[in-house]
Amino acid sequence: MSKIQNNLREVKKLNELQQREGILNGLHPVVKLVTTILYILVLVSFPKYQVVPCFVMCIYLILLFSLGDLSIRDGIRRMKLILPLVCVVGIFNPFFDHTPITRVGGYVLTGGMLSMLSLMMKGIYAVLASYLLIATTSIEDICYALRWFHVPKILVTVILLIDRYFFILGEEAGRMMDAYKLRAPKQNGIHYKAWGPLVGQWLLRSMDRAEMVYESMSLRGFQGEFRYGKRRHFRWRDFVYLMAWVMVFWLLRFTNILEWIG
Amino acid sequence: MKTETMKECIHIEHLNFSYEGEEMVLRDVNLVASSGESIGLIGANGIGKSTLLKLLVGLDLHYEGKLEIATHPMTKENLNHIREHIGYVFQDSDSQLFMTTVEEDVAFGPQNYGLSPEEVEERVQYALSKVHLTDLRKKHIYKMSGGEKKLASIATILAMRPDIVLMDEPSVALDPRNRRRLINILNEMPQMKLIASHDLDFILDTCERTILMDEGTIIFDGKTSEVMRDKDLLELHGLELPLRFQD
Repeated sequence: MSKIQNNLREVKKLNELQQREGILNGLHPVVKLVTTILYILVLVSFPKYQVVPCFVMCIYLILLFSLGDLSIRDGIRRMKLILPLVCVVGIFNPFFDHTPITRVGGYVLTGGMLSMLSLMMKGIYAVLASYLLIATTSIEDICYALRWFHVPKILVTVILLIDRYFFILGEEAGRMMDAYKLRAPKQNGIHYKAWGPLVGQWLLRSMDRAEMVYESMSLRGFQGEFRYGKRRHFRWRDFVYLMAWVMVFWLLRFTNILEWIG
Repeated sequence: MKTETMKECIHIEHLNFSYEGEEMVLRDVNLVASSGESIGLIGANGIGKSTLLKLLVGLDLHYEGKLEIATHPMTKENLNHIREHIGYVFQDSDSQLFMTTVEEDVAFGPQNYGLSPEEVEERVQYALSKVHLTDLRKKHIYKMSGGEKKLASIATILAMRPDIVLMDEPSVALDPRNRRRLINILNEMPQMKLIASHDLDFILDTCERTILMDEGTIIFDGKTSEVMRDKDLLELHGLELPLRFQD
């Protein structure tokens, strides 16, 4: 199986996670979206040298990963393309910021080191929080939540169509790669002469299939707006969930709770 | 034979069609089909079968002649109304099914027509029971076999409660058991059916009337049992006798 098909399988596994019957899956999508956005906003609002409070924000991830019966390892593996990028964001900070901030043991920790650590943590946590959202909420439900906030219809439809066509593009690419490899067994990768026709054919075939999908949609009454997910009513547990997290975020961000608990 | 209770579903007179700047694909096609009929559309590759089906669902409106579905002329203004009457099962199920699970895909059409959640649910149950896929309603599309996908494609159309069902090569890539299953399901369906296929044995099992096309025009329109035994006619137009009639 080609690398492309493996990656597609991973994405399809995410779809399976979204369809499970669990506490997190059953929450209202608007509540999950708001909580995730709030978490990320609170996380990035910590001053750059505050590593410990930032670290404590992992409580949200640990609780929800266990509540949702999700594996952190799988989450990290599935986000492996993005995680290295967020990790290198602050990698040069120690070279530019030599301000001594604190001492740990015999070592002086500079502002650059702390800001690098906090940036890395913020990046990783934000990616994992987003993973939590997409592992427990289908794209239709996320789009429904976005429409609930009056995000323009056209923008939400584009997001949903990108999701649909992403698979079409991926599947076509996977098929073509398999066909190529079977007839070029001794080659490592794709020969430069084949790139042009392969990419050209890939686009043409993907367009053909995308057109057929669109035809299938319009033959079933699609007129530019999706019926995003199942219409759900807010329940008490949605409010409790949201309020509980708002309180936790507030405590972690605006009080000295860490000092109180020693 | 047409009885008084039969309604005219498809009415085509002197239909001509060509893709922009290209040779004529359909020439002077005339066809009348009534409710309850099951019609096979046969012919060699590239003679315009699929094009005719696409015109019947309004995927291309640049035709000449008369084309009416359930007495509504095929025009842009009538498209939405016409598409409530007619369902089209694609040759490639992967292109037809685009939602995550079977139930979501089957519900897509009824939801788009603004039905209430209760009505949508009722339609989903009805459609899935007709193709015997009730147990698979939560199944992910990508995990289904080719035969299951084909049946799910039919369910997506049945959920729209159409009067007319068009099918493009429905038996392609089906194993014998799924092929038989599909034949039984089609024979139980009360809708008017127009089935384009190269699988003449399949047409024999599902259609009492057959239309033979060649070079964009209708060569024969009559009883299936008659055309399927006419070796000379079939061979003249690029086909062969059904397997069961071959020596």
